[in-house]
Amino acid sequence: MQQLSSRIPSLKPAAGPALGLGVLPYVLCVGFAFLMHFAVGPIVGDFAMSVLLQAGIAIVLAVSLNIINGFTGQFSIGHAGFMAVGGYVAGSISYYTSMILWNSPAPHGGFLGSGQWLMALGCVVGGAAAAGCGYLVGLPSLRLRGDYLAIVTLGFGEIIRVLLQRTQPLLFTREEIVNATASQLFPPPFGGAQGFERIPNSANLFWVFLATAITVVFAVRLKHSSSGRAFLSIREDEIAARAMGVNITKYKVRAFVLAAFFAGIAGGLYAHVVPILRPIDAGFQKSFEVIIMVVLGGMGSVSGVILAAIILTILPELLRDFAQYRLIIYALLLIVMMIVRPQGLFGVREIWDYFPFAKKRSRAA
Amino acid sequence: MIATPPAPTPSSSGPLLDVRDIGIAFGGLKAVQHFSLSLPKGGLFGLIGPNGAGKTTVFNLLTGVYEAQSGSIMLDGVPLMGLAPDAIACRGLSRTFQNIRLFGQLSVLDNIRLACHCRGKHSLVGTALRSPRFIGQERAMRERAESLLSIFGLQDRMHEPARSLPYGDQRRIEILRAMATEPKVLLLDEPAAGMNPHETKSLAESIRRIRSEFGLTILLIEHDMGLVMDICERITVLDHGCIISEGVPSHVQNDPKVVEAYLGVPTPPAADTPAEKH
Repeated sequence: MQQLSSRIPSLKPAAGPALGLGVLPYVLCVGFAFLMHFAVGPIVGDFAMSVLLQAGIAIVLAVSLNIINGFTGQFSIGHAGFMAVGGYVAGSISYYTSMILWNSPAPHGGFLGSGQWLMALGCVVGGAAAAGCGYLVGLPSLRLRGDYLAIVTLGFGEIIRVLLQRTQPLLFTREEIVNATASQLFPPPFGGAQGFERIPNSANLFWVFLATAITVVFAVRLKHSSSGRAFLSIREDEIAARAMGVNITKYKVRAFVLAAFFAGIAGGLYAHVVPILRPIDAGFQKSFEVIIMVVLGGMGSVSGVILAAIILTILPELLRDFAQYRLIIYALLLIVMMIVRPQGLFGVREIWDYFPFAKKRSRAA
Repeated sequence: MIATPPAPTPSSSGPLLDVRDIGIAFGGLKAVQHFSLSLPKGGLFGLIGPNGAGKTTVFNLLTGVYEAQSGSIMLDGVPLMGLAPDAIACRGLSRTFQNIRLFGQLSVLDNIRLACHCRGKHSLVGTALRSPRFIGQERAMRERAESLLSIFGLQDRMHEPARSLPYGDQRRIEILRAMATEPKVLLLDEPAAGMNPHETKSLAESIRRIRSEFGLTILLIEHDMGLVMDICERITVLDHGCIISEGVPSHVQNDPKVVEAYLGVPTPPAADTPAEKH
């Protein structure tokens, strides 16, 4: 048999057009974000706007958790912990840099102004910090499976929550932060149990849906790639995956790092939308909401999870009158799903796989 | 036995797979002891023995599922002892499983493409941007999957989930999947299990064919004596974790120890036949 690597050069497409096609979806993401901002933004009211922003963030969270729980088959219930890490890092960068530069936590500059770029930078740094945590949580996943891994991830979320409660309750003023010594910055002034308030409210439809679209494009491309198949093979059968040459250690950690990165970005956006962060945001309840989205949509199905994220964001808003029953309904929903359709609405397949022209598409992939 | 293909001449550098004196005990149970095997390039050897003799344990030792507690395993001059199963697969020792372990929900195509894993590079940037190299690699994997599937005429079913295929086809796909890793040595664990005589016969043909076409070296575990005696050049017989016989099929077939292991000791009169046992 000819070696795989020796066949690659002759099968490589021309670099120019291929790279163009490779970047095109991301360009379309930017276009989509502009469309959301300029076409959808002005016609929706404040309430619909806030639901849209929540839905976008929920999609990022659910699609990223899907990389761990859906693709790789590891059961993580600490996703809110990653989100909170990203949120607090991004929020503190945004808040304190704004204080130092402009002596005010109000969003600086207009659309695509410096305040918003600062937020974007904060989100990326927050994502990186969360990815670091993802690496740490991913390591025990090499030895643990099923319930035991779930307990570790749950513990991670709780640790983050408790640590955040122990931060300094009073935010620093400009003078305090500029003159602070290293010891004064520990524990960091992130608002303590009261929550981190006065984060610049710089996120809008453009940034949220830019992140959402990029996350979705990346997740779909990941699923239909050799790395994605490695994730899926671990979910299907770890022993066979190893026997076929997949380094499951590497791929489990990779799943956690990737998912945590996007969760961190979602947390950063959340911080700039609400714009208040509370330690409870790192707690179990928030993680649970994301898990329901993944389970309902279908473990491994990107489009199914997106749909579930949208439904489960809008539904509670429409059913505000029954808000106190929400968790009961969620739990019942989860139980019914587990009995009736344990693979979720769409299973591992995508929504379009159920259309008649599905075969053509999968062949083209 | 008729028409045993002539054994290809072993390369001058010695056996391709050289196993010396490996063993493993689970607590007090000595599952495999002093197992040695030297498999020349292009050889087609068999490993037989009664149920529970330790055949699959030998495969698990060779492929790193268990770590051998003693001895040495060399593949083409490279030591394999202590390596993880994925590292061993990447060094060219691939296997199938006794109870099929396909990735059931994934398509047949994905099952085989996945097995190309360690022959490729999987950068996240390339994946995210669909770099030319990424596309070339995906095409190469697909090309390989299609050409492998065509060996058994299964290319029409490549988009179906692996678990939806009939049992016999699943066994064939396991063999193809193992071959997709570009192995030097292929370990087949009961490839004919659950097959009817007709299917077994066509499997024997296929095994011969893939060996000659792809220059593979094969070691197989099998309970179907017809198949083993028909296609294997040399056979190792295990019982209670120890090698009790080794040689060409006609020798093994007539070895009293082998007959004893399979059929039991003949009933007395044992008084005048001094037992040759230990």
